[in-house]
Amino acid sequence: MPAVTPLEAEYRDWLVTRLSGYLRRPENDINVCIPFSEYGMDSVAALSLFGDIEDAFGLYLEPTVAWDYPTIEALARFLVRAGKDGEL
Amino acid sequence: MVTTPRRSAPAQLDWPLPHPSWELGARLDRELGDPADDAGVHSYQESIRLDEGEEFPAEQLAALDLWGLPEYYVPAQYGGRLTDYQDLSQLIRMLARRDLTVAIAHGKTFLGAAPVFLSGDHAAARRLARLVRRGARVSLGLTERTHGSDILAGELTAEHHGDGLRLNGEKWLINNATRGRLLSLLTRTSPTGGPRGFSLVLVDKDELPDGTYRHLPKLRTLGIRGADISGVVLQDAPVGADAVVGGVGGGAELVLRTLQVTRTLCPALSLGAADHALRLAVGFAQERELYGRTLAELPLTRHTLAGAYADLLLCEALNTVAVRSIHALTSELGVTAAVAKYLVPSVVDDIVAELGALLGARSFLADHYAHGRYQKLARDHRIVGIFDGNTMVNLYSLVVQFRALARSFLAPADHRPRLASLFDLERRLPEFDPAQLVLVSRYGSSIMGTLPAALAELRAEAVDRPALARAAELAEELDRTARELHERIATCTSTVGDAAPSSFEDARRYSLCFAGAAALGLWLHSHRAAECGPTGELWRDGLWLEAVLDRVLRRQALGGPARRSAPAAGGATEADLSERLEARLIEQYQRGSLFSLLPCPVAEGPVSC
Repeated sequence: MPAVTPLEAEYRDWLVTRLSGYLRRPENDINVCIPFSEYGMDSVAALSLFGDIEDAFGLYLEPTVAWDYPTIEALARFLVRAGKDGEL
Repeated sequence: MVTTPRRSAPAQLDWPLPHPSWELGARLDRELGDPADDAGVHSYQESIRLDEGEEFPAEQLAALDLWGLPEYYVPAQYGGRLTDYQDLSQLIRMLARRDLTVAIAHGKTFLGAAPVFLSGDHAAARRLARLVRRGARVSLGLTERTHGSDILAGELTAEHHGDGLRLNGEKWLINNATRGRLLSLLTRTSPTGGPRGFSLVLVDKDELPDGTYRHLPKLRTLGIRGADISGVVLQDAPVGADAVVGGVGGGAELVLRTLQVTRTLCPALSLGAADHALRLAVGFAQERELYGRTLAELPLTRHTLAGAYADLLLCEALNTVAVRSIHALTSELGVTAAVAKYLVPSVVDDIVAELGALLGARSFLADHYAHGRYQKLARDHRIVGIFDGNTMVNLYSLVVQFRALARSFLAPADHRPRLASLFDLERRLPEFDPAQLVLVSRYGSSIMGTLPAALAELRAEAVDRPALARAAELAEELDRTARELHERIATCTSTVGDAAPSSFEDARRYSLCFAGAAALGLWLHSHRAAECGPTGELWRDGLWLEAVLDRVLRRQALGGPARRSAPAAGGATEADLSERLEARLIEQYQRGSLFSLLPCPVAEGPVSC
């Protein structure tokens, strides 16, 4: 696995905190490699994540971003790219 | 089989400003013939006969094909006549006021074809358009025996085989699964599933080899008893690669985008049912004598009828804005459709129950009164709140958007969609662009967002027109209620497994506030033109607006259907509002007009009294 950059780590930490809040689980219960759906986050609820991320980081994302990157690991890596490209 | 065109019916001279879509609905109704004429194919009597025999309305559907109804399911870019979804909504509404079974059995083709027409796959859309225009029935297969609304649990698989795919599995509780020639099926294309693990496959049964599919028997149902509610089993059914519409893995997204449009059209079924129920109730109240007077002269009866009428107008106002928003506010349809598909069928269920109480035993008899139409429509309408996304599904889809909805209401982004054409009935709508449909609205609801400015505008108008003062007071209360609601839901983090009952209650309240905002916008932007038309009395002095806002707030306060008794305070105003509204109701009934904000004659013609 490639090294995690500080920015990527920031996204991961933020997502872990958010997920732990939404799913009412302790943060250390959340594995960044396990799909959101396995924590009980259904596909419709996953769609609501994009707005929170946009709101927190000022990115412009597609609502389906959590469908296409369905783990914290994949999503954080994507967000690093999205931030660099300005959008998407 | 003949449809008797009734073009020769005397023209109503007093409809100088009709809306083209309401006019189209009236033309369909007229050309289907007077439903009270027992000899007609589209008569009430025939509907009841078919229902009692649990018989599919094949002759009625064929007559609608001849009339050209399928043309309105096909977008103009693919050769059909669908350019304005208001047309389709009014056509469905007029069909539904006669017979919900027929409307649902025919309209299903639109539901089945819509994902293909909205997918952007032009080749598939053109192929399907040709078939639909020739009268082929299309069905939509989402649900399975052990998976209802949880469509991403589906087990019907599509696996690559040679140049195409092989389908295996079953879809169940599918409207027209047996009668439909084509099936739009949501299939699992990845063993692990997930939101990118499903694809939409368009299957033409006529092209499947024998023995690769079979139908499951029609199920007996409480309502729409003649409908073909059945299922299909596919066994190594081969389809070409071009049968996949919207890309491999794109099925869930395509279906959810399509449902935004179809859920916005379903309320037309409820509006038709409400018209039917209210017409029966008014007719009964006027002829029924009790204690030396007609039922219609009793204050409680008049209050009940006026309340049901106000509820119907509330539903129509919301639905008019919702259907127009398919064109004018496409990117927010995820919110708008959920509100309309939840609220309209629920309110109409209440209308049907309350008017049923007024009719008493007559609502219960199978054939003694008015052919037994009331008990049929009451049974039939139950399905509208269940199919195409049930009440809980729609409320939940609002619950998961609460944070975004609150964010955009309480601190609006610098985002100003142009809403003038949305609310102004005289304005042409922009062409619908399916590419603008997104699963979640980025800016919450701009319709709800108009509330504060709309309130200010109404207050300003009320300065010169004291008759608007009460409507302005109600709008103020609505604005306050909406603000409190958004503050409460701002931090909601629910998933389907743990959403609190209170969040569903908040979604219900959200829908009511939304309906109030839609009504306010519609009145403000359209009243000047509408006041000059044949339904002008309804619009003048904000009459329908006041009545509708009153209903919205009562439902907010009570956590359920509006209470029929007037509150002690403001009793005089209440009684006055109720009386003025009832006068319009009776006028529309006697003129033989649809119960509507806009003029639309019905085929029965005027009622002689």
